[in-house]
Amino acid sequence: MRNGVVLITNNSSLCGAVFGGRLVEGSSLDVLTAARDAVHLGASLLTHPLCGNLRPHQQPFRSVLIEENPGALVDLESLSLIDSAVTIYRDCARLPLPEDLEAAVRRDYAFVDFELMRDSLERYGILPRIVSPVFGKV
Amino acid sequence: MRLELHRILVKKLAFGDKTGVAGGTLTINREELLDLISEDELLGGNLGVDIAMPGDSIRIVPVKDVVEPRWKIEGNGQVFPGAVSDVETVGEGKTVVLSGAAVVTAGKIVRFQEGIIDMSGPGAEYTPYSRTCNVVLLLEPANPGMDKHDYEAACRMAGLKAAAYLARCCAEARADEAEVFDFADIREAMSAHPGLPKVGYLYMLQTQGLLHDTYLYGADVKKILPTVVSPLEVMDGAIVSGNCVSACDKNSTYVHQNNPVIADMLRRHGRDFNFVTCIVTNENVTLADKRRSSSFATKLAAMLGLDGVIITEEGFGNPDADLVMNCWKAERLGIKTALLTDEYAGQDGASQSLADSCVEGDACVTAGNANEVIVLPPMKKVLGVAEEANVIAGGWQGSLAGDGSITVELQAITGATSELGYTKLGACTI
Repeated sequence: MRNGVVLITNNSSLCGAVFGGRLVEGSSLDVLTAARDAVHLGASLLTHPLCGNLRPHQQPFRSVLIEENPGALVDLESLSLIDSAVTIYRDCARLPLPEDLEAAVRRDYAFVDFELMRDSLERYGILPRIVSPVFGKV
Repeated sequence: MRLELHRILVKKLAFGDKTGVAGGTLTINREELLDLISEDELLGGNLGVDIAMPGDSIRIVPVKDVVEPRWKIEGNGQVFPGAVSDVETVGEGKTVVLSGAAVVTAGKIVRFQEGIIDMSGPGAEYTPYSRTCNVVLLLEPANPGMDKHDYEAACRMAGLKAAAYLARCCAEARADEAEVFDFADIREAMSAHPGLPKVGYLYMLQTQGLLHDTYLYGADVKKILPTVVSPLEVMDGAIVSGNCVSACDKNSTYVHQNNPVIADMLRRHGRDFNFVTCIVTNENVTLADKRRSSSFATKLAAMLGLDGVIITEEGFGNPDADLVMNCWKAERLGIKTALLTDEYAGQDGASQSLADSCVEGDACVTAGNANEVIVLPPMKKVLGVAEEANVIAGGWQGSLAGDGSITVELQAITGATSELGYTKLGACTI
């Protein structure tokens, strides 16, 4: 595990299963806003902030992997990416909250959010290799 | 490198005692096919095989993949290398194609991920797979709690095995037409067609994780560095789809086998440009991967002395970043680009179409707006589970009405806005 690697997420099952998870209670936009704030404080993005293949109003979960570097200058590439993502999500008329969805559907979205992050979480050493999150309680 | 595609034209499907083809009718021994796919212990005991013909009042949902039946009768290797056959290099010799037939895999994996095919009505106008004679495999996992990776792999393999089986059973039949493709190796290509620009095809493949993955010779493409592939290898099934979302712009295995960008580039090779090679690249999640792959793919293009590349994307949102990185990195190396993508511009078409852009991306072709809303009238028969329309990407709770009609965005229709251009949508100047 690298020092300073943090997963910012509103996917509580995933958050509980990784080292260095930071849970955001709220929408996908709240997650992106938290990531943007971290970038302003010197963090750099390790994963692209946009979700793959689902519109913002379709996927209630969002997870962004960052590396915190306290006191570092702002990483302009990260700032540009996260600002664009926040703008795209902010322009979306209605963003669902995880609790808006029926349990079975919510589990599927939480599962796919994890699956799209799995490789990155393993790569940066914050996902224990044996334990996988259980999505029954989201 | 020479590949001959021996096409047997299929216009009708029937069930019978022996799998084979005669007079345009593909006869399928249903039990034999069921036994073949049931061999996989990861699949359940209640599998089905059905038929859906163009014009039928049939809806197939949720669709995972579409595969064209092919089988090699001469040359190295066998179709779908690394999946149903060994990993030997393909792309040479003779390959039988059951043209007009397709294997469609249907079954729930993760509920919102799959698509819809209507065989008639307005929905049929948007999916290319309403024109094929479809052998539909209805799949289920051995147990509901099964690992989804295992189940996805089992579904993928079932479709590939069925497609290879159907074509293998017809290998002795006389072909209706033969198409010959010659493709020069890099050494020859470098000096061929002096005066014409050297052009390559930068072939982006969706590789973000489960249900978003693609395989090259059985290798998970998210784990490779960009590499060079002959277009003839692609025709023999070197690229296999393992992804589902979004239904409208996933590149099915069928579309890889029949990639219209490759077909067109081969047609124009030697006349308008010198088509040198395909460069396969991935669309990963981490920024380091995106940077590495886009730099490496465009570096390959520069090393080959290409003057231009056509770049096709798969998917949208996060992959838009890969598309844009490939574009500006190529352009800044002096390689001209033309991009092929689709749009998510909102139901009114007024929103930003792509999640990313760059000034170098000034030659872009669209395959349509995936957010267009369409009403699909009820069909007499549903193969699969109609209720999935309520949770499929592009649908919403209430998409399925009491009378069986479905209101969805084009996103939910399999292949509606194919980013390889294998679509019924088009545009003309008036």
